[in-house]
Amino acid sequence: MPNKLIDIVGVSKSYGDNLVLDDLNLYIRENEFLTLLGPSGCGKTTLLRILGGFENPDSGKVIFDGKDITSLAPNKRQLNTVFQKYALFTHMTIAENIAFGLKIKGKSKSYIDDKIHYALKLVNLEGYQNRYPDSLSGGQQQRIAIARAIVNEPKVLLLDEPLGALDLKLRQDMQYELIRLKNELGITFIYVTHDQEEALTMSDTIVVMNQGYIQQIGTPEDIYNEPENAFVADFIGDSNIFNAIMVRDKLVNIVGAEFPCVDTGFGTNKPVDAVIRPEDIDLVKPEEGTLKGVVTHLIFKGVHYEMEVLANNYEWLVHSTDMFPVGTEVGIHVDPFDIQIMKKPESEDEEAVGIEE
Amino acid sequence: MKKKLQNLYLLLIVIFLYAPIMTLMVLSFNSSRTRAKWGGFTGKWYVSLFQDEAIMSTLYNTLIIALLSALIATVIGTLASIGIQSMNRKFRTFMLGVTNIPMLNADIVTGVSMMLLFIAFRMTMGFTTILIAHITFNIPYVILSVMPKLKQTNRRTYEAALDLGASPIYAFFKVVFPDILPGILSGFLLAFTMSLDDFVITHFTKGPGIDTLSTKIYSEVRKGIRPEIYALSTLMFVTVLFLLFLVNLKPEKEVHEKNGTIRKPSRARHTMRLVVTRVVPALLVIVITAGGFFYNSKTKISGSEKVIVYNWGEYLDPDVLDIFEEETGIQVVYEEYETNEIMYPKVQSGAISYDVVCPSDYMIQRMIENDLLDEINWDNVPNIKNIGQTYMDQSKAFDPENKYSVPYCWGTVGILYNKTMVDEPIDSWSVLWDPKYKDSILMQDSVRDAFGVTLKYLGYSLNSTDLDELNEAKNLLIKQKPLVQAYVVDQVRDKMIGNEAAIGVIYSGEAIYTQKENPNLEYVIPKEGSNIWIDSWVIPKNAEHKENAEKFINFLCRPDIALKNFEYITYSTPNEAARELIEDESIRNSKIAFPDASELSGCETFKFLGDKNDAVYNELWREVKSK
Repeated sequence: MPNKLIDIVGVSKSYGDNLVLDDLNLYIRENEFLTLLGPSGCGKTTLLRILGGFENPDSGKVIFDGKDITSLAPNKRQLNTVFQKYALFTHMTIAENIAFGLKIKGKSKSYIDDKIHYALKLVNLEGYQNRYPDSLSGGQQQRIAIARAIVNEPKVLLLDEPLGALDLKLRQDMQYELIRLKNELGITFIYVTHDQEEALTMSDTIVVMNQGYIQQIGTPEDIYNEPENAFVADFIGDSNIFNAIMVRDKLVNIVGAEFPCVDTGFGTNKPVDAVIRPEDIDLVKPEEGTLKGVVTHLIFKGVHYEMEVLANNYEWLVHSTDMFPVGTEVGIHVDPFDIQIMKKPESEDEEAVGIEE
Repeated sequence: MKKKLQNLYLLLIVIFLYAPIMTLMVLSFNSSRTRAKWGGFTGKWYVSLFQDEAIMSTLYNTLIIALLSALIATVIGTLASIGIQSMNRKFRTFMLGVTNIPMLNADIVTGVSMMLLFIAFRMTMGFTTILIAHITFNIPYVILSVMPKLKQTNRRTYEAALDLGASPIYAFFKVVFPDILPGILSGFLLAFTMSLDDFVITHFTKGPGIDTLSTKIYSEVRKGIRPEIYALSTLMFVTVLFLLFLVNLKPEKEVHEKNGTIRKPSRARHTMRLVVTRVVPALLVIVITAGGFFYNSKTKISGSEKVIVYNWGEYLDPDVLDIFEEETGIQVVYEEYETNEIMYPKVQSGAISYDVVCPSDYMIQRMIENDLLDEINWDNVPNIKNIGQTYMDQSKAFDPENKYSVPYCWGTVGILYNKTMVDEPIDSWSVLWDPKYKDSILMQDSVRDAFGVTLKYLGYSLNSTDLDELNEAKNLLIKQKPLVQAYVVDQVRDKMIGNEAAIGVIYSGEAIYTQKENPNLEYVIPKEGSNIWIDSWVIPKNAEHKENAEKFINFLCRPDIALKNFEYITYSTPNEAARELIEDESIRNSKIAFPDASELSGCETFKFLGDKNDAVYNELWREVKSK
């Protein structure tokens, strides 16, 4: 494993009475593509701005490459930021935009020209150096913003929802572009987004945040398949989250029906949260299921059908490539390893409520 | 049809907006001094404009003050905007409110309070005080135009610059500044224009010896605005038009750049742009500043000996001041006012200690009553012997013992009539009530003059405070209303010259001039008597150079000097010795300029009747006007 490049130690920050970050600890390894994921207001942007030097934490430290940079001015830090709305300098040409940082560092003209050329090639925008930002499309502007940041050869690139303003198609293209760039440059990316799909697609590590707390840190697979709490489960993809009772090891009671599962160690007859992904629910003939229900809604989603099934007074969300018309009686079956059991949050602070995007 | 209406609308707009300016421009080429007559095309006013040092130096004063105040206000206003922008919302709203107050506040309040402040800090009124005042009222305009630009500016671009290694100052100038530059420039232009425009605040904060165009022009209203001013206004309008043209050249170019064509602007274009945006303004600044220093150095106060003179506008031949300075070595600091009522508070406040002032009769009475005047030491004014005894006697009406005042100019109120338009000899105020002259009568639009004429016609004193007499006069004035073509002040002169009316009530000083322009006009002091007014030199109590003041007054009483002034002002002079020196016999013996003593016997000066009676007069006049 590569070394820790950035270590965030006990960082807290509040605006007035509003606590945005509470005693947050996190480290970032060299060459990692780390994504801070969470709903708006979860503190992810604040954390990024603290890293960039635009905000000072109320308490705690930021260690960069072994040095404390907590109160270092932004212009003295070895990291560069790609801002949410690009923040290009509109009265300068693309070349002048890209050269901005290099000129300040006093690089030679030929070095700067080389770098401009290299950066534009890297973001596939060769020949654009004499144009003005306003004449470029959103995606092109975004790539220029990245080019402007990377020519400075930062150790870390901070990206603040850089794709937020783009349309879906462009966003997907840019996701691949970013992955390619990251691999070519070999630098650390810290990426902020509220789009879980974006996070799952690009990241090495995802940090799910809510209300100033880190909810879970893990690989995309971990986060998706094994959410540690109801918030993460709900935030990442669609989920059925139940107040369930762990009857004993490997058996859980969900809305009155007993499902075999694979989890152990939660005790007996303990209240837990149980998560079942919609695509993990199999709809079978009524008599073959663990539970009987009736289809109440049906929507065609392209890849699959989305259905709601009323069973034991609970609406179950189901994704399936098979279609069951509204009113059909069905049976519900879930494979044991598709049920994710989670501890109930212990404190109210930690509890994840009110998800807003 | 719709198209036609549109064009008509456009035409109306153009007429209403530009007709006044066109009139002014046409008049600036009129070789006749009066606006009622076209005397042929001439460029002489433009020539004499540039030869007129007084006008040119006020022009430079105006431009320097406008330029400096706009520049300083732009710097302060921009910094303030940045500060306000970074405040939190509550404080920001509060600060914006506070900075907007000077803009919403009535000019007169701002002006008076600035004046009081300067007095409190014992500052000498002059260039500096005007400049400070202008900066003060200009700052809100700059903030007003910079703030919106600053709000539009993406704060992230500033942060992006920091992020790329720029220091905060470098980031501001490289990134934020170009974004808000249009706002700063328009703020600067707005401030510049506001400063050029300002009259009220300048009026209260200026001191002796300095004038801006607006105060200078306004001080001339009593004598009529000179055609040189038309020429100057025309030039200023054309300049503004030209600047507008330059400013409008730019956007087109920007659009062009933003088309996204992959090329640098051509070299010629680049040079052109540089000339327009850098060289032209820089040259303007240099010319203005250099001109300012040039004129400043010419009017530089050299010695410590000086006399501060406060006089009506256009009420003294400028050459006379030069002669006085040459002969005595005393520097004359000269300031002008436009009405007694404007002069009075400035003297009373003590903001500036004037040495010599020239108020009218009733105002002298008021100043004596309020103990504002100092007695004149007649030993220092031997030339008083040149002033006719008649005038010293008339002066007793307001200066009972001849202790405070030296008559300077005088005149009467009478009837000016057009010989070709009346068929009888006119010698009585009664013609003003003669239905024959319906719609050919011009009355003075001022309370005391209108009532004075009527009271005299009725055989009463024009200083009457008897309510019955006043009501009688009021009713007579109401009866007269249908006959009157117009109630006017200055226009009597021009309308009479232009044969627009048969009979007008006018001051004798104007009569001589109108007769020169239109020989058919005749002036008469009606047999019932009339108003005689006298403007006299007085020395305020707080004068700092009393001896110089007396020297100055004595100098003005010298026959040759009085003659020069008479020729310049054309108002009657009380200086008998000067009258003897008048070469033109027709003027020396003019019944208008120098009526017989018998004619003056029925004449009275106006007296200050007290605030209460003033109110009564005003109320009655209001009734007349509103009936």
